[in-house]
Amino acid sequence: MIERRFQLRWPLGASGSLLMLWALPVILLLAYVLPFAGVTLWSVTRPEPGFENYVRIVTGADFQAIFVRTAWVCLLSTAITIPIAYLLAYYWVMGSARRSRLIEICIFIPFWISVLVRAFGWVVILRNNGLASDVAAAFGLNGLSTGRNVWSVITGMVHFMVPFAILPMASVMRKIDSRVLLAALGLGCRPLGVFWRVYLPMSLPGVFSALAMTFIFSLGFFVTPMILGGGRVVLTAESVFVQMFQTANWGLGAALGVVLLVVVFAILWLSQRVMRIEQLMSR
Amino acid sequence: MFGRSRLGGFFAGLAGLFLLLPLVAVIPFSFTPKRFLSMPDGEYSLRHYLAIFDPDTWLASIGTSTLVAILSSVIATALAAAFSIGIWLRRPASGRFLIGLVLLPIIVPPVTSAVALYFLLAQIGLLDTIPGLVLSHVVMIVPFSVIAILGALSRLDRNLELAARNLGASQLQSIFRVILPNIRFGLFAAWFVSLVMSWEESSVTLFVSGVNVITLPKRIWDNLRLDLDPAVAAISVIMIVATTLVILLRKSET
Amino acid sequence: MQRAIIEPNPTPPADSKAASPSKPGSLLQHPNSVAAEVRNLRKIYNVGSPQAHEALKDVNLSIRANEFFTLLGPSGCGKTTLLRILGGFEMLTSGTCRIFGEDVSRLPPEARPVNTVFQQYALFPHMTVRRNIAFGLEMLGKPKAEVERTVERMLDLVHMREYADRRPDTMSGGQRQRVALARALAPQPKLLLLDEPLSALDLKLRQKMRLELKSLQRETGITFIFVTHDQEEALAMSDRVAVISNGHLQQVGTPEDIYEQPQSRFVADFIGESNLIEAKVADSAGSEAAFDIEGFGQVQAPIGQRVEVGQQVWLSIRPERLVLGAVHREGPQATVTDRTYLGNAVEYHLRAGKHALTARSPRGGLRGRQDFAPGDAVSLGFEPGSIKVLLS
Ligand SMILES: Nc1ncnc2c1ncn2[C@@H]1O[C@H](COP(=O)(O)OP(=O)(O)O)[C@@H](O)[C@H]1O
Ligand SMILES: [Mg+2]
Repeated sequence: MIERRFQLRWPLGASGSLLMLWALPVILLLAYVLPFAGVTLWSVTRPEPGFENYVRIVTGADFQAIFVRTAWVCLLSTAITIPIAYLLAYYWVMGSARRSRLIEICIFIPFWISVLVRAFGWVVILRNNGLASDVAAAFGLNGLSTGRNVWSVITGMVHFMVPFAILPMASVMRKIDSRVLLAALGLGCRPLGVFWRVYLPMSLPGVFSALAMTFIFSLGFFVTPMILGGGRVVLTAESVFVQMFQTANWGLGAALGVVLLVVVFAILWLSQRVMRIEQLMSR
Repeated sequence: MFGRSRLGGFFAGLAGLFLLLPLVAVIPFSFTPKRFLSMPDGEYSLRHYLAIFDPDTWLASIGTSTLVAILSSVIATALAAAFSIGIWLRRPASGRFLIGLVLLPIIVPPVTSAVALYFLLAQIGLLDTIPGLVLSHVVMIVPFSVIAILGALSRLDRNLELAARNLGASQLQSIFRVILPNIRFGLFAAWFVSLVMSWEESSVTLFVSGVNVITLPKRIWDNLRLDLDPAVAAISVIMIVATTLVILLRKSET
Repeated sequence: MQRAIIEPNPTPPADSKAASPSKPGSLLQHPNSVAAEVRNLRKIYNVGSPQAHEALKDVNLSIRANEFFTLLGPSGCGKTTLLRILGGFEMLTSGTCRIFGEDVSRLPPEARPVNTVFQQYALFPHMTVRRNIAFGLEMLGKPKAEVERTVERMLDLVHMREYADRRPDTMSGGQRQRVALARALAPQPKLLLLDEPLSALDLKLRQKMRLELKSLQRETGITFIFVTHDQEEALAMSDRVAVISNGHLQQVGTPEDIYEQPQSRFVADFIGESNLIEAKVADSAGSEAAFDIEGFGQVQAPIGQRVEVGQQVWLSIRPERLVLGAVHREGPQATVTDRTYLGNAVEYHLRAGKHALTARSPRGGLRGRQDFAPGDAVSLGFEPGSIKVLLS
């Protein structure tokens, strides 16, 4: 016989929190995963049932060219992004207070600004007769190739990616105990040696996640390449857009989207395996 | 501290300038007196800033973007809060799976997400409508809210909830009177991030709207693709200045 | 015995059963009723999964009303688990759990007349002290005036009036501790659960809070179930103590019982210090028995239960009840291997055959006590009744 303490209970009792928990996943299942299944269905039914679209993607010379170009552009932008981001992350975490603050501002202003505005900035700089060619002309370098080309696209992509790549690297670097570095110095290692033999290996996990992230982001990217490439540097993601809205080839566009997703998941899976192996080896 | 070499510091400074370069480069172009995008030579004008106030084009798009951003960020934050608190309270065995599911839109290439959402809206007849756009934005931005709120919850003492229940609060009361007040900063961060994400969303938006519903990014996109209207420069400068102010103010607060 | 929804009522409804307490705070009228009772309680975490872990193994326990009852055991033995089951935060796997006679196994925490002082206090960081204390009362739907009155009373009770409008994060550990107590006591629970509430405090404060807690319990007449791994704390504060080890209830009794009459090696060793010596029953007659200790000789000790000749047992003796003397007669002997000065006592480490023993004597060498140095041979004497026979 207990003195009762009562209040209005949740109308659904314990299942209330169950409802909270499942509302979002159910919405996403219905509004995202299910439509994706529909897209996959499109890819094998339009224009007619069969794996026509996939066969075209795999064997068509035009698509092979796009894939090769995509791979090159993404690899190059990743390869350029990572060292720049590492340098900035390093000085953000390890630099003097003033420098660290300045770098933080340099990172976060572009980070929060629309990708379109950033691409526009590069258009202004890189287009024919833009700022870059003016500056080059002032130095006597006429006829420098600027404008809508692969290098413009890569510049824009690197600029977009750097702030993202910095974050995972910096978060790993922050966890590096500075006493470990002092210990290495105390053991007679020279500063540069400490960096190569202690700091860099300890920061590698951050580099790996930045690598995977940058590469995956650059694969699915179409706004920057479309603006800076101007239709001359078509990458996979852009060709999805083109197939869907310019040639109205929905089945093909859908199939390309599916292929892109499969590639991204394959890379994710692979990078996780690499990370695990890396962790095993560091034990 | 070790290894702050002069050379490294110099290159880091260059890299920082590289990040700011395109943002700074835009500024002079916004003051050109000419009708087309060009460097002003001696003469400056604010005409392109005034053009932003055209109620049929730029101002309409700003209104649309604001409406969509507010609606979708509020919905996304509410859904994310419910989901994250549900995970935190129940710690279900399927938790990892559910979180993975909810974070999918970040991992999946935006163009693939866009195709899926295009398919959905085509099926239910919401293409190129505000509700359709809000739904798409919610899907795309909700992972960011979930990350922010789960982060805030992970720093919350579990016993607070038990203490509330123990003192006679029902589950609902403990959520509203103890959990939510204690993660209010996380909730605000989640809302703010999703607001900005929605305001800037320019991949899915291009697929699922564009004729009746024209957001600011869509209008900028059209201008960049067709003719380079200096109004884009003016808009860009305003966004850059606003962002810079927010970042500097937030910095000086802490 | 109804448990359905009754409107929030400022005065609790009168109970129908005469035997049950009618109002919180009036429990003193029923000093012999049972406050909490668990029968055949088992708790397995992650049932059915490979990480399944049995945290409580067939625990039977009965806690009386108005008691200061302590659950004592090493870290990880299942104390918190038992407390959480009583509080309703954890489902029991099997068995029953009754609070004032009612089976509460399926009752959510908010419906139990039980409040908890948590290990790290779990004060609401976004509320002032006053609002923290008022929380439970508000949840009960008490009228404003009554809430205010009770909060003021609680503030006085724990001497926190000056801090009433501060937030918990600006206060010291001892102050938080008091607020947590006031918050848990304000709704006048019938049972207060305290999970290592003193462990975060420093030694001086801990000793002061022991006295405060004890007197608070007496003043309020609320049954306290107190969890600690500190045996000194348990002995100092409790009316009764339950010793738990590895999910098993080892022994329940008054502090004197537990200390003087340990019933297992675990209890003898965990509470205070003991010399534990393996022995064989040589002869048993009535309430006395003789035991053979290898390389040592024979000793006599009273026995509580039947033993068989030849049976393996353990003998336990407290260091302070081992009396050392000069070697002058036949009988158990030992060699001093080490001498440690402890201020108020001297501790001798001894070797007797293959056994290592510890003896403690108050200020050895003084007040007529003989002092010894390492290497000395000594004779061992046992105060009568000081040897406990343990079967497990
Ligand atoms: N939620 C849980 N899931 C799995 N195992 C648990 C959980 N809580 C406690 N345990 C395990 O149960 C045992 C008893 O824990 P606990 O009751 O917290 O011990 P104590 O409070 O006595 O230190 C420990 O071995 C602990 O690891
Ligand atoms: Mg514990």
